Amino acid sequence: MTESAVKLRLDSIGKRFDAGGTVAVQDFTLDVARGEFLVIVGPSGCGKTTILNLLAGLESPTSGTASLDGKRIGGPGPERGVMFQDYALFPWHTVLGNVEFGLRHGPAGNGLDAAAREQRVRKTIDLVGLKGAEHKYPHQLSGGMRQRVALARLVANEPDVLLMDEPLAALDAQTRIILQDELLRIWGQDRPPAERRTVVFITHAIDEAVFLADRVAVMTSHPGRLKAVIDVPLRRPRGDATRADPQSQALCQHIWSLIRDEAYRATVA
Amino acid sequence: MTFSSIRVARSVALPLTLIVVWQLLGTAMGNPRTPVPTRIAAAALQLTASGDLPLAIVQSLGRVFAGFMIAAAIAVPLGLAMGSSRAIERNVDPLVESFRPIAAIAILPLAILWLGTGTPAAMLIVAYAAFFPIVVNTIAGAKRVSPTLLRAAATMGLDHIQTIRTVIVPSALPAIGVGLRIAMGVAWTAIVAAELAVGAKAGGGGSGGIGQMMFVFYAYSIELNRIVVCMIAVGLVALVLDHVLRAGLRSLMPWVSQ
Repeated sequence: MTESAVKLRLDSIGKRFDAGGTVAVQDFTLDVARGEFLVIVGPSGCGKTTILNLLAGLESPTSGTASLDGKRIGGPGPERGVMFQDYALFPWHTVLGNVEFGLRHGPAGNGLDAAAREQRVRKTIDLVGLKGAEHKYPHQLSGGMRQRVALARLVANEPDVLLMDEPLAALDAQTRIILQDELLRIWGQDRPPAERRTVVFITHAIDEAVFLADRVAVMTSHPGRLKAVIDVPLRRPRGDATRADPQSQALCQHIWSLIRDEAYRATVA
Repeated sequence: MTFSSIRVARSVALPLTLIVVWQLLGTAMGNPRTPVPTRIAAAALQLTASGDLPLAIVQSLGRVFAGFMIAAAIAVPLGLAMGSSRAIERNVDPLVESFRPIAAIAILPLAILWLGTGTPAAMLIVAYAAFFPIVVNTIAGAKRVSPTLLRAAATMGLDHIQTIRTVIVPSALPAIGVGLRIAMGVAWTAIVAAELAVGAKAGGGGSGGIGQMMFVFYAYSIELNRIVVCMIAVGLVALVLDHVLRAGLRSLMPWVSQ
């Protein structure tokens, strides 16, 4: 990958949580290209979330550097939107208030007048299937609905880089398939690669990883390391035909074989 | 008799019995000054009809609101600053904590000497009394903000001031509400005490208010029934104040499930 094509770079990252304590991530090196959809899979506790937090600038590495567009990441920024595993919704805002939060209070809304902001918020709410729930508070919503609110809040801000921590995990199977398709559309799979956003996406679901990803980074735990990076050469745009593609199933089998032993060990232990 | 009416009957049986015993014993003593329920009721009607009692309550309430507002205007921003910045808390907390044990009524002598026996002195005492519950609860509320929400705000590019306004303040609001409710109770207690004391200094002069009224009945006309009417009025007003404040806070925080 040429230097200019690199959007995010993790260079020999090490992360330890307390001095002398557990090593969360060790010697992790990975480049994410501009416009790439990268998915990270791995067993629980392999440091996937730590990698995402390092990219978000919410944590800093103990050793090595994380950079964005060639500049060291020193903190969070609005060009990198994050969807948190526990959704991080504001309990005092309705669905509408949560989705428009970044546009109203953050730099994402700069240059948007109230009408344009409202239009984008409405569009995003429709997109994730929250129409009719606009005036509900998070505590009145199911887990799946909350997850959609978090997704809508991220998407409404239209960040350059989307960092997503198991964003579809709480959804039922049908909704999940629909939102996978939507997510690819939001990312820009119908546009030329130069106009796509950059996504780093964490999931437990291998089929989801293969369906979405340009590349799948497979992690291993204790300490968290990068075990393999698998290219997913499936044709874009992807859709239902991709899910049924034998090549897609073969890739799933291959990735499963990489993490199977560890997954079994973690489950039995 | 249904179950619920039995319960109602039980809960009023003891108070009713006590009132009847009080009435009988008080009448049996033969002193017409002795407060008994019927005389108190008559005094209440009279004081209300003459407009003296409503006026005194309005005067006291005016001072309570003014003092309460002053306290809230200082204590809420200060509490938020202390709760969200460790540096500010370390510097200001010792000062707040060293004044907190000094009861509001203990600053009365200074308040009278500096501000006289009128409304300003009473307001100062109310403000002082109401300040501490608000500041202490606001600090606790600001500290209880969820770190994930702060992170979410940071990833959306909010600066420090925006984060305080849009994340820390709403997070702290339920605790601020608790502080305001406690403060309102304390403020109302303080105004009665302050007016009683200010009234004493003024020699029963025209500073007004329910406390002052009680002082006049106590020191000049020795009307025990009327004093009891004032006591009951103080309790009822406190009850109404808390209900109004609670309803206001509830409508301000529709997301807090009751």
